[in-house]
Amino acid sequence: MQRRMLAALTGTALMMAAMPAMPAETAWKSYISKDLGFSFMAPGQIKTEVGTFRGADAGPRQTIVFRATENNIEYKVTVMTLIQAQAEGASILGEREYMFQDKKKTVSDTFSRVETGKDTVYGRKIVVDLPENKGRATGAFYFNKGKLITLEATVAPTGNKASPDIARFVDSIGFTRAVMGAVELQTPKFE
Amino acid sequence: MRLTALAISAGVALAAMTAPAAAAWRGYISHPLGFAFAAPGELKVTKGTYSGAVAGGPHDSATYQFVDDNIEYKVVVIDMRDRANDAATLLGEAEYGFQDKKKVLMDTFGRVDRQFGRKLTIDLPNNGGRTTAAFYFVNGRILSLQATVLPANGDYGTPELGRFVDSVTFYTVRAADDAIELPAPPK
Repeated sequence: MQRRMLAALTGTALMMAAMPAMPAETAWKSYISKDLGFSFMAPGQIKTEVGTFRGADAGPRQTIVFRATENNIEYKVTVMTLIQAQAEGASILGEREYMFQDKKKTVSDTFSRVETGKDTVYGRKIVVDLPENKGRATGAFYFNKGKLITLEATVAPTGNKASPDIARFVDSIGFTRAVMGAVELQTPKFE
Repeated sequence: MRLTALAISAGVALAAMTAPAAAAWRGYISHPLGFAFAAPGELKVTKGTYSGAVAGGPHDSATYQFVDDNIEYKVVVIDMRDRANDAATLLGEAEYGFQDKKKVLMDTFGRVDRQFGRKLTIDLPNNGGRTTAAFYFVNGRILSLQATVLPANGDYGTPELGRFVDSVTFYTVRAADDAIELPAPPK
């Protein structure tokens, strides 16, 4: 009996040693930008930078980017301020969504709703396969209170396209809900 | 041989006489609202209201309606000028409401004259027909073009739906020269 138990324990230990090393999970944190009016969750270390965007409708814009990378997935939140063009927000949002999927294979394109009742913000969620087998990108797009906000999770070719972390990230956005213990993001100054 | 040819000709002529006459398509334009489109049949204008959880309301709406060959053509203009800064979400709410609890056959980008919107096709519940619609938010208004093939027509693949929803233009220079100015809805 003792021998059999020893054999079973040795077998389990050998199996565990033979298993491929799983990547270490980084804790997910909630982030909030009171200046920009939204919150989200992401794993890893968030880096903040200033970027650029150009759209036919939106024109050339400076953007604020919050970025993290974890397990071959890049998590990116991009914010553009278009306070003077809020009445054109529907078309500007449509253009941004169109650009995201243009010349790519669209895997899905669906309605997205955040918050409830009169506070509901409508947007879209789009999944595309990147050209030349460069991976898969999931984007969620919203235009709220003069800001065009995009959440993008891009899985590298070696990453797990079916990872539940992608949805966890893009679905984590909030506009009005209180987030306990969220890390406050600093808004970088434009040049 | 000649008798057969005569019989065929007579048959074709009879068939043509009994088929419903398709109404001519005409151009329509609204200079104050900033759009133009084309539709067949007789124009009927009605006034209504629109409400939504986000939109609030009721907001005034005007419907320009046509019926031809058991296809309903409708242009709905909802006045959202007091909420124009919420354009993106208001348009999303209108699109979502259109397809909610219905079978969606198509949901794609609509791009007209630098305006981005959406085009959707749905099957109506209880075999009520098929509707193709296009939604845009322009000049503080939600504009939707909706064409419904009724069961009495039954040709759900008809190109007339696409012809109607794709006829919209936001550049007056693209309107037909003889386009009819749309009347204001009745008070």
